[in-house]
Amino acid sequence: MSAVAAKPAAGGAMNPGAMAVGIILTLILVGICYVMSPGVGLMALIGVVIGGILIGFGTHFVPVGGAPAAMGQAPGIATGVAMLATGAGVAGLFGGAWAAETLPATMDPMMQLLIVVCAGGVGGGLMMAITCMMVNFLYVFGMGIPPASGKVANDPITGDSQAEYKSQGTEGHGLPFVSFVGGVIGGTLGGAGGTLIYFELLNLYQGALPDVMNVTAAQVLPIAVSLAGMFAVGLFLVNAVLTAYNITGTIEGPHDPKFKRWPRSIVASAVASALCGLCAVLIVVPLPI
Amino acid sequence: MSVKVEVIEGGVPHNTILIAGVVSTLVCIYLTYLNVVTQTEMFSFFGGLAVVAALVWGSHTIKVLCSYGIGTGVPSAGMIAFGSGVIAMLLATRVTNLLLAPVVALILAAIIGLILGWVSNNVLNMKIPAMVQALTEMAVVGALSLMGFAALITGTFGFSGLTTGTVSMFGITLLTHTNSFLGGCLIAVAFLLGAIAIQHPFNACLGPGWTQDRMLMLTAECAFLSMIVAAIMSLALISAGSALISLVIAIIGWAFTYKEYMALSKRDAHSWLDSKPIPDVEGH
Amino acid sequence: MEHIVFGIGITALAGALATVAGSAEDTESNIGSQGDPNSQVQLAPQMGFLHRIFNKAVAGEPPAYGLWCCLGAGLAWAFMAMQFNAVLAIVLGCVFATFVQGVYATTAYVGRTASLAKFGQPVYVDILKSMTTVTMAHAFIAIFCTVTLCHLINTALGHPFPLPLLGLIWGIALGAAGSATGNPYYGKERQYQNQKFGAGVPISASGNIVRYAEAGERNSIDNGWFTAKIGGSASGICFGLIVFLELWRTVVFEAINPWYAIIVGVIMILIFTVIDRYIEVWARKTYGPYTAPKEADA
Repeated sequence: MSAVAAKPAAGGAMNPGAMAVGIILTLILVGICYVMSPGVGLMALIGVVIGGILIGFGTHFVPVGGAPAAMGQAPGIATGVAMLATGAGVAGLFGGAWAAETLPATMDPMMQLLIVVCAGGVGGGLMMAITCMMVNFLYVFGMGIPPASGKVANDPITGDSQAEYKSQGTEGHGLPFVSFVGGVIGGTLGGAGGTLIYFELLNLYQGALPDVMNVTAAQVLPIAVSLAGMFAVGLFLVNAVLTAYNITGTIEGPHDPKFKRWPRSIVASAVASALCGLCAVLIVVPLPI
Repeated sequence: MSVKVEVIEGGVPHNTILIAGVVSTLVCIYLTYLNVVTQTEMFSFFGGLAVVAALVWGSHTIKVLCSYGIGTGVPSAGMIAFGSGVIAMLLATRVTNLLLAPVVALILAAIIGLILGWVSNNVLNMKIPAMVQALTEMAVVGALSLMGFAALITGTFGFSGLTTGTVSMFGITLLTHTNSFLGGCLIAVAFLLGAIAIQHPFNACLGPGWTQDRMLMLTAECAFLSMIVAAIMSLALISAGSALISLVIAIIGWAFTYKEYMALSKRDAHSWLDSKPIPDVEGH
Repeated sequence: MEHIVFGIGITALAGALATVAGSAEDTESNIGSQGDPNSQVQLAPQMGFLHRIFNKAVAGEPPAYGLWCCLGAGLAWAFMAMQFNAVLAIVLGCVFATFVQGVYATTAYVGRTASLAKFGQPVYVDILKSMTTVTMAHAFIAIFCTVTLCHLINTALGHPFPLPLLGLIWGIALGAAGSATGNPYYGKERQYQNQKFGAGVPISASGNIVRYAEAGERNSIDNGWFTAKIGGSASGICFGLIVFLELWRTVVFEAINPWYAIIVGVIMILIFTVIDRYIEVWARKTYGPYTAPKEADA
């Protein structure tokens, strides 16, 4: 309890042994699902794992500077990475869920999946695009500060030099173009991942819950929507917080050296999503106890 | 909640709080089963007391974890606790034998938390000694407090009870799935009430003058406050009399803990001024 | 066709409500020093700068607003389930949610300040009384507008999510948009008004926040008055644009062909990218590089 001074040693190093164990663990969990609920349950779990990986990977792109960003001391958006990614992700989930509602039931399932996931992704990307644009708007027109990165000499996309636009005594400020693009990619991946989780679970619950609860398909709809939506939000938070741990809270975008830690996060998200997704699938499986 | 807190350096050891928290939370959740035994909804308020007990324990766990400086804010710890807890809790409500549900929730949440802790420490290379135990405890706290909220709002913690409600129209009472804890997604409200209440006490009391009794009193205050609004929501799903019992207990608990918390803050504060200027400090 | 026109009307109303909500949210959080600028209010006494600024650290803005809006929506849902009129239910729900917000605000200020006893920072009871009520008023506006727009989305536009889940989604999005846009303006421009304009705050100046006003000592209502003019309006526009464009592209194009809604979304993202790039280039050309190194006055 007296370890206030002990800073986390989360360096950039990978731990190959642990990652291998993580992958095996994921496969075991998927295997359990195959035994308990082959077919639709397994398909849903695979969708959840892919969705979780998309969220974990996407969160790395979101440029977040934390508290120093609010003083113009560090580049990025001045808020927490997990919650900003969640904000974009749930905005995408909102769009995706709406698209899922309005599609005709006769449509090809794969086509439905594609439309819903794209709608969710665009929703998340649009939210981040507006937010990032307004951040730069406020820095430039409200505070008279041009955007500058502290981690790279030149913007990898536009080639603009950064060092001389960095004011004295700071690490940079605002969102250089590469961070803006990163934010949009992050929002898109997060929105798509969250929507994929929601859509897979919704289909599973709509199909299986009427038998479990002995009611009609129309009656079960509000339960299925709520359950799938709640699981999507819960899984989103777990994956976003794990990624925030991975990058220790702040990142500038895809050009940041911390971005290279993404393989760790993918394995972590896969394990976490497989575990939580398995629980979500087992809700519709008759339990022995 | 039953923890007697003394003003000692370091205060009550964490393991004492842990054991007291698990036992009192489980006991309170099981006491709501009296509803089934006596065929009433009068004992729903025990769900709220379970929330209080679980959150007091959970906020201390957050203190243990966040003392290490995990690189991201305190609130995210509450989010991962309830994000993993909600999944365990919902699966646990599905068990056929209703009496097993709280224990199953505890075990499932512990497994999920254990694996998430292992992932954070080894795969994500965080190497924080308290991580595995803290994430395990927090997932359990998340699952049990959501179960407590469910019992408080609906009077039961079984899947069928959470998915069915009644609506009365022109004097006829009809069964409905839309007006239920899950169908109306009140679980989202319970989720955020708990997730904020678990992290707020440490977030609000952190600093060099942190004291354990003040933080835990604040947790109890936050939990009773959440219980007040949850009791108001329960008016829609259980009988008015039972909801009022919960509401009255919550208001009494909240008023008492709020008063106590303010007194403890007054004790710990440097000075307690009304309409006074900034004190003069040497050199500024 | 009539259906689409009705939808566009609701969309416009929802966008207007969102703009008010975003603006009120940012002003509320700035008066309470919530979000990231809070770190400086917390740091100042440790550096010897005692102050009379409200310090209401409940959580980051996204989770906090997630709770207030979700709670308001949940209570409104419960009242509607009890056959209350929708308007009355929403108002009552938001009143209770605002009460919870106010209680959290007082405990946060008292707790944070009591923990700073070592540095001599007093707890000001008058701040507690005057600022909490002002933040509650702003919070009520933000929560009421958000819950109302969620109700419109749910009942008039037919979104499948129940009201509390919509409250969670738009509450978190409101907090994310408001904190992202509004925080730097309060954190840099207002707290560090004594630093040079047009440059970030040097790290060496951290904690030296402005504590005195034109006359007397600065309090947080002054901060809300200042930031409402640009930070608040910008946050309002940000959240309003998010809600309006998200709804508009779905309402108008989804019925024709689902792919159109997606294509329109992509086009809008590209338009915002171009605007952002234009702002960046304009700033680099107009302001120019920082040539001579500046003195950091600590």
